[in-house]
Amino acid sequence: MTIEQDWPRVSQQKAGARASWLRLDQTRVLVIALAIILGILVAPPAIILLLRSLSITNPDATVGGWTLTHYLRFFTNPDLYRTLVNSLTFALFSTVVALLFGGTLAWLVERTNTRFKALAYLTTVISMGTPYILYVSAWLFLLGRSGPFNDAWRTMTGTRQVLFNPYSLTGMILIEGFLWSPLVFLLLSSTFRSANADLEEAARMSGAGVLRTVWSVSIRMATPAIAALALFVFIRAIEAFEVPALVGMPGNVDVLTTDVYRSIKESIPPDLGYASAYSVVLLVAVAILLHFYGKLSRNAGRYSTVTGKGYRPRQFDLGKWRPVGDALVIFNFLIVLVLPLLALLWLSLLPYMRPMRPSGVAQFSLANFATVLSSEYYRTLAINTLIVGVVAASVGMILALFTGWLSARRKAGAQFVDQLATMPLVFPGIVMGVAFLMIFLSVPLPIYGTIWALAIAYTVRYLPYGLRYTYAGVLQISNELEEAAGASGATPLQSLRRVIAPLLSPALLSGWLFIFLIATKELAVAVLLSGPSSPVVAVGMYDLWVNGQGGELAAFGLIWAAVMTLVASVFYLAGGRAGGAGAH
Amino acid sequence: MLKLEKLTKVYPARPGEFAGGIRDADIDLSAGTFFTLLGPSGCGKTTTLRCIAGLETPDSGRIIVGGTPLYDRQAGIAVPLHRRNIGMVFQSYAIWPHMSVFENVAFPMRVSKDRRYSGAEIKTAVGEALDIVGLGGYAQRSATQLSGGQQQRVALARAIVHRPKLLLLDEPLSNLDASLREEMRLELKRLQRELGITAVYVTHDQSEALAMSDVIAVIEKGRMVQVGSPRDIYFSPVNEFVAGFVGHTNILRGRVGADGAGVGPCRSVRLEGGGEIRCRARNGVGPDVAISIRPEDIVLDAGAGPAAAADGTQNVLRGEVTAASFLGNVVHYEIRPENSAQIFRVEAAPATPFDLGSAVTMRFPPEAALAVARG
Repeated sequence: MTIEQDWPRVSQQKAGARASWLRLDQTRVLVIALAIILGILVAPPAIILLLRSLSITNPDATVGGWTLTHYLRFFTNPDLYRTLVNSLTFALFSTVVALLFGGTLAWLVERTNTRFKALAYLTTVISMGTPYILYVSAWLFLLGRSGPFNDAWRTMTGTRQVLFNPYSLTGMILIEGFLWSPLVFLLLSSTFRSANADLEEAARMSGAGVLRTVWSVSIRMATPAIAALALFVFIRAIEAFEVPALVGMPGNVDVLTTDVYRSIKESIPPDLGYASAYSVVLLVAVAILLHFYGKLSRNAGRYSTVTGKGYRPRQFDLGKWRPVGDALVIFNFLIVLVLPLLALLWLSLLPYMRPMRPSGVAQFSLANFATVLSSEYYRTLAINTLIVGVVAASVGMILALFTGWLSARRKAGAQFVDQLATMPLVFPGIVMGVAFLMIFLSVPLPIYGTIWALAIAYTVRYLPYGLRYTYAGVLQISNELEEAAGASGATPLQSLRRVIAPLLSPALLSGWLFIFLIATKELAVAVLLSGPSSPVVAVGMYDLWVNGQGGELAAFGLIWAAVMTLVASVFYLAGGRAGGAGAH
Repeated sequence: MLKLEKLTKVYPARPGEFAGGIRDADIDLSAGTFFTLLGPSGCGKTTTLRCIAGLETPDSGRIIVGGTPLYDRQAGIAVPLHRRNIGMVFQSYAIWPHMSVFENVAFPMRVSKDRRYSGAEIKTAVGEALDIVGLGGYAQRSATQLSGGQQQRVALARAIVHRPKLLLLDEPLSNLDASLREEMRLELKRLQRELGITAVYVTHDQSEALAMSDVIAVIEKGRMVQVGSPRDIYFSPVNEFVAGFVGHTNILRGRVGADGAGVGPCRSVRLEGGGEIRCRARNGVGPDVAISIRPEDIVLDAGAGPAAAADGTQNVLRGEVTAASFLGNVVHYEIRPENSAQIFRVEAAPATPFDLGSAVTMRFPPEAALAVARG
């Protein structure tokens, strides 16, 4: 048509030519300021890793000249193959355990008439507040030599052999799998909740039985979400440090992350060049995996067909299988919550680690609790951790608020800022630790070994998580609400402060609590960055466990977990249940 | 009061392809005009409004309000939206749910750049604005407790509280149910006249446009194809699109006969489906034309009709009733003429019903048929 042919061409050559004559407005200033701040925070870790991996490190720790030695050493290391296989096996099977267990549980609780559902939620909330190390040490005790299982086995059979050695790849897989199952439960329960029950009803009406319906409709519909979640858990398991450090290293089962840790902590001087080369390879691997994850998770919403509000999908009647469902919910409650807590309680009440036998009861005392509560050290641990958590969550959420807003509203330049803020996602904790260790050692500021070093590293590490909350939150706020503020005479920053920020406050709170909760239990970064004058809870617990001070560890851990469970409950009630789904 | 000169903002899907926007819009309105941008969805009416508001930056052209240029590509002027001092009502009302009715309406005064308003001034102004829209006494309600119609009124109060010279309304009635829409239509018009404010109103509902406007601009694919009063637009559409979009009509296609071309007000047009009718023609159209005949201008008679009809002063077509729908005050018929496949829509009074399949005669004077450019 002629109308279309003589359309002016100006629009195609706009942006570039026009930018120069537009005034420097508020949003533009904000984009530039954010780009600078994020650039300073996010770029150095990647740059320093790359530089160091290619530089010769002299014995006196100075850097000089270029080299490929570190990469050569990495790729020619005879143990690399074994480590790699360990890492992949560990990640793959712990993902399977977490998904099978957490996923089944989520389906049972959300979509069937299983009883005791409250127990599943209770388990999840408490596990969100409990540091991983505490869990791992509790399970290590339970499954360990002097734990109740092996103890019962020895009593029954009279041998001195153990039934089960947790310091093995199998032990690592089971423990990591159970560690992740609450999160899988949390995320998949929201997937199952949003499933459209009409489609299942339609299958039943067409004559399919429960199992057939679940297999050909429910599971198929949830497949994109499950696939994305599986890859996510897999990536996290590749990056995992707690279980490999506490379980794998004593059992001589090395994985990639513990290898990096060893090259820093167990060689003198720290082999920074090698650790950097190692880290760069890990970064690239995680970046590739995350790329696929991004593709998968974009598909994840494809089959979600939520329509009405306050809509509750109908539930399957399990019939004669109902007790099996009940049993699984109770099993989860026991294995993920009750047993570890009982083990910790047992340990905390005894002066030294001993098997769970009635004879131990006579020696019960509150001495460990008394020590923990009166000790300056534990108070410092708690206060340091709280400060670091609060600072990281607050600074992170402020940056996330600006970035998420600019990005969701597609302001000019926002995509670049968004990519900067998302970049830390590719850093496994231990790699982030290595990078910041080298940064803080080379900047002329007295920051290394202080809690501020940790606060900065955590802010960077968890920024992407905060960003998911704010970005998704802003998208849910109608653009017209913001335009109405502009038309009423509000500047962009006034709109942000008076309209967007108040409406976003639930997402901001959820994001804040999420960062706070994970920052206060993080070990991988802290183990490299926290110095003698800046101990934090996770590192303190790790030291206690390694030093065999199980009693104090348990007493302190129980108190700490109780406090954090309160925070986690707020998170849960503030809508973290739904918001968490968008968090990764 | 409001002047647009060659205002252009296009969204090309691919180079050279039309995907939306407005092109070369020219308008000059005097103060107090109720001006409507009318067109189907995606035609560019909302883009025009958003350019005036400052929510979009035009590609070229000029926007002048009350003598002050708000946008001028050549002079490099682009006043940001929060400095334009314009009131705007959004399609979704955009009432901030975290604020009370009072705070919603007070917002423009609280963020005012011209001067700081005292609490008392704000209170008075908000009270007046709420009274004007009929929501006196609602100030302390939470915005989320309001019905759709009430939210609409709050949005209106917020748009006029700082006494802007220009009020922009983006399909404000489209989310209301039918009866409320009628009521708000009258209310809006009354309010606009009382305040003496210039209003730019966007709608795709032609009856809204006809009922409320002083001036209507009909937009088709990014072009303002006709600007005029409601009567102009309805009775003298410039082309087939305008005739078909504003009000119901029968469109016939034909060719102006060689004999009648350019002579007198009445032309003879040979129809594509066969037959010939006499009609009015807009200046300069032809030879291929579209003819618009409003359904209410056609008179139906049973059978061959009265003999008087055949005197040659009227167009007469015989046909058969193929559908009828009774609407109470009027009956809509569909008539198939004898020698044509073209179905006619006819509105008739319900007093004398015609049965399905019965033979009827349609007649209409040449003045009721208007030949316009095809579009």
